[in-house]
Formats: sequence, structure tokens, C-alpha cells
Amino acid sequence: MTLKDLAKTSLSNLGRHKVRTALSAVGVTVGILTIVTMLSLGVGVQQEVIRVFRGAGLETVRVRPVTEEQTPFTQFAEPERKVLITPALVEEMRARDDVVKVNAHIYLPRSANTFLRIGEHADEPSVTQVYVGGTPWLPSEPFAISPELIAGEELTDGAQGEIIVNASALEALGYGRAEFSDLIGQEIALVLKAPRGDVQDFTFRLVGIINAYDDFEKQNPRAYLGATGMLPLKAWWYNDPDILEREGYDALTIKAVSLNDAVQIVEQLEARNFDVESLKTILDTVNKTMVVLQTMLSSIGGLALLVASIGIANTMIMSVYERTREIGILKAVGASPGDIRLLFMAEASLIGLLGGVAGTIGGWLLGLGLNEGILAYLRWKEIPVTGTFFVVTGWLVALALVFATVVGLLAGLYPAARAARLDPLEALRYE
Amino acid sequence: MDTVVRAVGLARRYKMGDAFVDALRGVDLTVARGEFVALVGPSGSGKSTVLNLIGGLDRPTSGQVWINGTELSGSDERALTRHRRQHVGFVFQSFNLLPRLTAEENVALPLMFGGVPEKERRARARALLERVGLGPRLAHRPTQLSGGEQQRVAIARALVGQPALLLADEPTGNLDTVIGAEIMSLLKELNREERLTLLVVTHDPEVAAFADRVIKLRDGQVEL
Repeated sequence: MTLKDLAKTSLSNLGRHKVRTALSAVGVTVGILTIVTMLSLGVGVQQEVIRVFRGAGLETVRVRPVTEEQTPFTQFAEPERKVLITPALVEEMRARDDVVKVNAHIYLPRSANTFLRIGEHADEPSVTQVYVGGTPWLPSEPFAISPELIAGEELTDGAQGEIIVNASALEALGYGRAEFSDLIGQEIALVLKAPRGDVQDFTFRLVGIINAYDDFEKQNPRAYLGATGMLPLKAWWYNDPDILEREGYDALTIKAVSLNDAVQIVEQLEARNFDVESLKTILDTVNKTMVVLQTMLSSIGGLALLVASIGIANTMIMSVYERTREIGILKAVGASPGDIRLLFMAEASLIGLLGGVAGTIGGWLLGLGLNEGILAYLRWKEIPVTGTFFVVTGWLVALALVFATVVGLLAGLYPAARAARLDPLEALRYE
Repeated sequence: MDTVVRAVGLARRYKMGDAFVDALRGVDLTVARGEFVALVGPSGSGKSTVLNLIGGLDRPTSGQVWINGTELSGSDERALTRHRRQHVGFVFQSFNLLPRLTAEENVALPLMFGGVPEKERRARARALLERVGLGPRLAHRPTQLSGGEQQRVAIARALVGQPALLLADEPTGNLDTVIGAEIMSLLKELNREERLTLLVVTHDPEVAAFADRVIKLRDGQVEL
């Protein structure tokens, strides 16, 4: 029997009982629909996550110094640093070919009180903490959005005596937006107030003003100094002029040329005992979580498929009973047991495939619908997230159809073997 | 003499519940090529059993059958399938056509399992349906045909694989005497014109009268 004959014959046999065939396929449809929906959700969310991560810089590597483990005796003190981010390391990273940009960061403790003053404009109680560390264009926090420069220019790498502030800081000092551009190049004082009561002015030249780029920024005046600018503040705060030699930098952000370079840098720095983190490692964790989630949800579909396969097996056994005489005739005219087995397996597989096609289309439509629903909900809740959360790819369709067919095939194994084993003479006598 | 069928000591014992029934108790027979043999006897005499053993639908408990020189009783399922496909054609009392297939498709069906290309299958089916006088009824389904026409389709189907031997089990049993006589005339004609070897089981003396030779069975043995 050729494949064409097989397909034609089994299709025509299934066509004899359209309703029964359709009902048997429904189980597969439900199972495949669930699996396709879940996997497409997984694919969609994964693509969305990767897109967000790409925007946030998958090539960025973040390094932190490693501190001693805290004991009950040291838990309230600043932890001692074991592995330092030295200026030499910063230089080494800057010299690499696979690195685009390196930013070292120095932070002031949270308890540090800092104020801004321009000429007579001072706003002591309300001008709050200054952001510490590198420039806002390569921050040490993942997912930080690059700010928009509204006046002046970016902070130059390693610049001393330069400062950038955000619009909120100037507004808090009583300046209007129209005056911003006049302020570029002016002297600005950063006032640092220690708990011990000392007050120290540090004078900088204002080189740039950036827009408030999120709700937090809008409410919080900020100033940016760069690591070089921060160093005197920290040295004064701790009353330790050699603080850079003793403690190193507080963080280091390295932007590699490509994702692969970033992965290599992570591995190399980890080998040197640094505390290294890149979005790649976070992304891997997210991916793993997604796989677990998908597996769990897909197993619901798997359960539906198990039930469906029992349904198909039942239909096929009924069919063998009904067609016993026909099987006898086929054997009498020269069909081999293998031909009969093939015929029934093909029918069972076709029921599976049929259910699979319906389930795949259904899952795809359900995904489209759910996506619209989710987006509508997000709009209603005013959550600024858009994207496609359900993505049906070619391999997903192929996988679903093959899987559905295999479910049918497995369900057909026993009925087909039963049909093939029938004694032709007894089958011919069957009424 | 060119022998198509040779059976020696053919016996078949069936199990019916706890008891055994001996349907055949050692039957010897031969059928020569081109011969038309009728196998007659009362019901229960074992004539259908002989036909089934020769056709490879059943296996003897003891004894041997040779068809065209090939011994059947020791064959496995595969060899029996090949035997049914290549060497014999069956005609049944109740026609046994597949109701959802047309006359042409029913006749072509055995060739599908033999792997014959579809075009050739159709051509051979058509030629045979013409031969049995059903040229204009190719596309009819069994339910649209009379009993006599259905049996003609069944004869065409039995011949489509060009078998050495045609086995007919009460071919006129479901037909009235006039139509039955027509079917027998057709078989006789095929026997004469195509030198088709025929073994027909019947209990009807009028049917047996068409045969060259009559073998009588009684209680599972050949009556001499």
C-alpha cells in the first residue's frame, strides 16, 4: 500500500463518521490548545524580556568589591573589603579592546546630608541627597534609563570640578526652565554636612542639566559628579585622604563591545574573585524560571492529551468492532496484517493531527485575544507596558502538530494491533 | 496432468466449548488446471472448510495442501497473505463488497494491497467489469446494484489479481434461480474461455450440473 493510498483510504474511513471523528479530536484540540497557548506565552515573554534587557544593555558588566563575611561582632560596622576595585583595575579595563566604556563609582553613605548652593540661592532643608558615583549615562544599576540632556553637555570621563544636576534640583533652588541655559558654566557649591556637625563646601562648575526621566527623579533633586569628583567628598566624610588606596572604588560598570565579550569579562573577573553581575546572568535566571513555569503549565495540556489519547483509543476500538467484517474482506482479498495495522494507525494519527491543527489555530487565536485583553487591562491600569506576550513561532506549530500526531499514533497502537490480529475467517462470519 | 490443487489427508478439528468437532476427517482431492469442480454435500459436511483451507483463510489440523506446487499448511501469516493475494480469488455467498466503494473501486481494491499503481488498477478493474457485463455500472455502489450485479462485481474482484484458482462458496445462495443460472453461466464461460480453474461449493444440484466434475462430501470425508 502506498502512502497516497493509505492517506486516501484512512481519510475516507474517517469521513464516514464525521461527528465521531470530530468528538475524538476535541480532546487533542484542548490539550494542544493549552500547550500552544502556554508555550507561546513563554516565547512571547522571553522575547519581551530579551528586548527590555537589550535596551538596558546586555553588554554591561557590573563589578562590586567583595567584603568579609560579617560575624555577630561586626554586623553593625562597615564590612571590611577583601577584593578591591583598584584604579589599576579600572585602567586595565579601559585598555581592553573589547571594552567600550568603563565607569568607576564612588558612593557617599546614605546618612550623608548634601545641599546645593548657587550664589545666594540655597535651599538647605529641602535639597536632598545627591546621587553619588559615575555619570548617569552608564549607571551601576541595571534598567536605569539614560537621561535626556536639556542644557550643556555630558560629564567628561574623569573630570574634576564638574557637576551635572537635574531639573528638579534647579527648580528646588527657585530657578525657572528659561534660566537653565544661563546657568551653564556657573559655579555651584555642594555642601556636605557630617553628623559630627562639620560642614564643608565643595565648589564645582555646572556643565549640564538633565531632564527628570522618571517619577522618582521628578521629586528628587539630583547632582552627578563622577568618581573623580566624588573622591574628595568621601575622603572628607571618612576623614581619610587615602581612602581610594585603602577601599578602592565602590563599584565599576564596564560596557563591553558585544554580549560574548561581556560574558568573557564576567568569567575572567569572577576567576579573580570579584563580585560580578551582568544582565546575562539575570537573563539566564529569568529564562530558567520561564522554563519551569512553561513546563508546569504545559503539563496541564499534557494531562488533557493523555485523556484525549484514551478517547482516541476508545474510538478506534469501537471502529475495529464495527468493521470486523470489512477487515475480514480486506484480508481475504490480500491485505496483510501489516496493511490493516497501518490503516488503523493512520486513522488514529489523523484524528490526532486533526485535533492538533484545530488546537494550534485555537491556541494562536486565544493568544491574540489574551494579548489584547492584557494590553487593555494595562492601559486601564495605566501601566506603561506594551508588547506581544503570546508569540506562535514556526517551530512551535511544527512541534504541536508532530506531538498531536504522535499522541494519536500511540493511542492507535493497541486498536491497530487488535485489528491486525483478527482471524480472517472469524471476521468474515462476524455480523 | 497440470495440478493446481492437491490435498492429502486434510483434517480440521474445531473446538466448540469443551467439545471438539471434526469438520474434516482426512480429505484427499486434486483439481487440474482449467478444471471446473463442484464440491457438494449437505450442510455440515465440511465443504466450506475445504474451500477455506485451500484459500489460505484457515489452517488444517493435519494433512497438507499444495497450490501450484507450494505447500500451505506450514506457511506463516505472511506467506498465507501472499497466497491469498496472488494465487486465489474468493467469491462469497453474501458478495462481501465494501458498501462505500463503487463497483470499480471494489474490484481495484485487492490491487492496492499488491502495490499496483492506481492508473493500472483502474484500467484492470474497468476491463474486468466490462468482461462480466457491468461496463455501464462502474460508478455504482453495491446498494445501487441488484444481487446478480453485486455477485458479478465480486467475481471481477476475485479475478483482478489474475489468480490460478477461483474459489466460490455458494455463489448463487443469495440469488433466485434465474439470476443464479446467469452467474453460473458466466463462471462456466470464464472457465471455458480463459481456462480459469474453478472450485465451487454448493448444495444445489442445478449449480453442480455446470461443473466438469463433482466431488461429494459427507461428514468430513469424500464420498466415493
